[in-house]
Amino acid sequence: MNSAGPISPSLPPPLPEEVLADLRRAVGPRWVITDPDHLLVYEADAQTGHRGLPQAVVLPASTQEAAAVFGCLHGHGIPVIPRGAGTGLAGGAVALQGGVVVSTARMNRILELDPDNRRAVVQPGVSNSRLSAAAAAFGLHYPPDPSSQTACTLGGNVATNAGGPHCLKYGVTGRYVTGLKVVLADGEVMHLGGAGREGSLFDFVGLFVGSEGCFGLAAEIEVVLAPTPEGACTLLALFDTLESAGKAVTEILKAGLLPAALEIVDRNTILAVEASAYAAGYPTHAGAALVVEFDGYPEGLEEEVVQAEERCRAAGAWEVRRARTPEERAALWKGRKKAFGAMGRLAPDLVVQDATVPRSRLPEVLARIDGIARHHRLRIANVFHAGDGNLHPNIVFDRRDADETRRVEEAAREIMELCVAVGGTITGEHGVGLEKREYMPLVFSPGELEVLRGVKRVFDPAGLCNPGKVLPPSQEGRGGPGEGAPDEAVGGGRLPGLGGRGGEG
Amino acid sequence: MRTPAGIGASWRREMERQAEKLFHCVHCGFCLPVCPTYLRLGDEADSPRGRLHLMRAVVEGRLGTDSGSFQEHLDLCLGCRACESVCPSGVEYGRLLEGARQAAASARPPSFLARLLARVMATPALAVPLLGAARLLRATGLPDLLARRLPAEGRWGVVRLGLGMLAATAPPDLSPGETLYGSSRPPSCEGSGTGPGPGEGGIGQGRRVALFRGCVQNGLLGHVNRATRRVLEANGFEVVEVPGQGCCGAIHAHMGDLAGARGLARRNLEAFDGAGLALGGATGAGWGAALPQHAHWWDGGGPRGGARGGGGGGGLGERARRFSERVRDVSEVLAETGLRRGGSLPLSVTYDAPCHLLHAQGIAWEPLRLLGSIPDLDLVPLPGAEECCGGAGLYALTHPDMGRRIGEDKARAVLETGAAVVATGNPGCMMQIGAWLRMTEARVAVAHPVELLDESYRRGGIYGG
Repeated sequence: MNSAGPISPSLPPPLPEEVLADLRRAVGPRWVITDPDHLLVYEADAQTGHRGLPQAVVLPASTQEAAAVFGCLHGHGIPVIPRGAGTGLAGGAVALQGGVVVSTARMNRILELDPDNRRAVVQPGVSNSRLSAAAAAFGLHYPPDPSSQTACTLGGNVATNAGGPHCLKYGVTGRYVTGLKVVLADGEVMHLGGAGREGSLFDFVGLFVGSEGCFGLAAEIEVVLAPTPEGACTLLALFDTLESAGKAVTEILKAGLLPAALEIVDRNTILAVEASAYAAGYPTHAGAALVVEFDGYPEGLEEEVVQAEERCRAAGAWEVRRARTPEERAALWKGRKKAFGAMGRLAPDLVVQDATVPRSRLPEVLARIDGIARHHRLRIANVFHAGDGNLHPNIVFDRRDADETRRVEEAAREIMELCVAVGGTITGEHGVGLEKREYMPLVFSPGELEVLRGVKRVFDPAGLCNPGKVLPPSQEGRGGPGEGAPDEAVGGGRLPGLGGRGGEG
Repeated sequence: MRTPAGIGASWRREMERQAEKLFHCVHCGFCLPVCPTYLRLGDEADSPRGRLHLMRAVVEGRLGTDSGSFQEHLDLCLGCRACESVCPSGVEYGRLLEGARQAAASARPPSFLARLLARVMATPALAVPLLGAARLLRATGLPDLLARRLPAEGRWGVVRLGLGMLAATAPPDLSPGETLYGSSRPPSCEGSGTGPGPGEGGIGQGRRVALFRGCVQNGLLGHVNRATRRVLEANGFEVVEVPGQGCCGAIHAHMGDLAGARGLARRNLEAFDGAGLALGGATGAGWGAALPQHAHWWDGGGPRGGARGGGGGGGLGERARRFSERVRDVSEVLAETGLRRGGSLPLSVTYDAPCHLLHAQGIAWEPLRLLGSIPDLDLVPLPGAEECCGGAGLYALTHPDMGRRIGEDKARAVLETGAAVVATGNPGCMMQIGAWLRMTEARVAVAHPVELLDESYRRGGIYGG
């Protein structure tokens, strides 16, 4: 179905005029986009391997507007695809077979900031960093810190249950969301949880967080904020090999220390980052760099830092640097957090993998991933949250080279199978989206998948909310609600490998 | 899909040459939260990533250069290049934009107003008398009055903005106490006298600096140029006049008229090359960024594709490169050598970074260091100082709606700092910010950072007064 080649998904039919009229009434004509040229910019998220053109993009500004849009589309049986800033790395915000993308970019207000109760209510289009910046005036912050935090939206964070380097100590998005006002597929607005209702019978909030837009749209999000730690100290330990860095991680955690973050970047990543605007001064001859951060009361930090330094040296670190001032720490973190974008310097295309393995298996898994890369003659740059065993092997390539692209697909699958085989799973934080759908059977039995489909049907009986995402098509291929579309419908080059940290991770 | 329109063919060749740069974009979206148009519209086509995607679609043959969306969304870009400062992949957005604008312009010419102003600025016989008349008009005080009184909406909006911009070019009132928000510092701090002077061996050690006068700046902000000369001389530099210099061509390049920009650049190269100077000093970020770009206006190609100094250049590419290496912003020149200390200037001042200084040239600290060296000056941080003010060359006039939204936000941010003066080192920014401060009835002065240093020197008796 792709006459224009792998880069160009085919144009879906335009929406009927009566639907467009309804949508324009709901949000205003300026905010209904239908020009095919214009729609091109919405054909992919940050994982450009998955492409598909929506029939329209609609930008509501409020819960009521969003509800009207959902209601209208439901009435006409048109699929709806929620989208935040399009920083996701699993194709979750891509229109697979037409449908209407509902962008939350204009739903970008912080509705309440209540420092006394350490809580905030935001619209889904507010970026992660903006909430923390607003809370900073009160000595508070929002702990989950995906590497794309300056750009990614809290709505997207809810959809993917996003993590971030500091979730080792502080936990992921789900731990901070206490209430949601959601727009369901048919346009009904429902209040889940909320202040003082945390103890209610079923944890609907917990169910909704991480549902990747398949249950509806989180239109208002209530979160708890945390006090900003008084002090922090960040270490940068340099190693000759990835394995020794992995060993240091195991040793630090075995010693009973609880760092706020434990991150590893490998040599390929260091090369890319140091060539970028975010050069952090990592030596380019190092085989791997380990970032260890402790936070808490300044008085208590020293002892932990010294212990961690010792463990790093024992594992083979030839240099350990300390960053204490906010500026030094920021520079050091920039090198880590902008790693995904900097990969563009290595090659034009990138598959950002995301998988978890038991921490103790890290050194072994890293060595085997290296073996897979060698076997397929590919370059892999590793960036990962070592502390919780969340790997991001990034495969750089050039999609114009068909043979290389095929090898990338094979390698990506082998890496997934490896991670599952050692007791891990197929996604740490980026979500399943389109990217990991085909790997779902690696971790779920057919019966379990059927249960998941059943859960989706409860929220979205007609199967119109972000269809084709997360759940693979059932064996019978009935194409029922919530089931995936046939594979050939994925516009453009079908590429595996999850999103990287850019997304909601 | 569509085939590109014929006029786009030569440009497409050029874009194909630049394709590797386009392909550096990994679509991460880190540029979205710094883009002034995306922040205000929320439409990804009005974000750097979206615009790059449209450019790429043209290169891939999926869009024609005459596509309405391609035209419209590239046109709405301010060219502030804030996206370049945050791009982890190092995409050279500004350069790609110039190329894309050239293609867009050949499919649909820029607005009449833009072409008229560009033509006038490039023609001294028109610009000099016109700017002279503008100075006379400014002296009557009418522009200041009308900018505050005319209706904001409709046809009068642009007239009001133009008058506000003109009024904003008047020399600032830097007398403490008379401004609305005086400094809290007691006046007794004043009078540190001449301070340790450059000595007679001098900070600048007699290095020769040629000042780039600028066209609008020379006509309307001559006081900035004069202050710059005084300050440089007080710091031991020798300031040389370069006759024959003219418009830098930045406005032409912004509009996609690279041929016009090259013609103007050639004139400047010839003028400055003969002067045998050590440094070219720029007091405006716009041309400070444009002059170093002269080099790639030649090797970047364009319709005649003059790579390696061939084509339209005739060896000029190499000369342009040598010239480019010597151009500095005046704040850089002074920060490099260190500064002579002036007299007390107890004013609260906030600083707004011109995009083409901060994002295009990466000059962040030098102007702050310059301001920080002034005794008793209270430097107040401006939230969003790194974001465009909406001036952007002719943008404020050619895109009045978006220019207004951004300009009003900037004026509000300046007001909220409580500062008496906002300092910024580019005529376009001074005019845009000054205009919107006037139109919001604010009494905040707008000054070039060098003017504040100059005032401090005057009070410190450095000029022997």
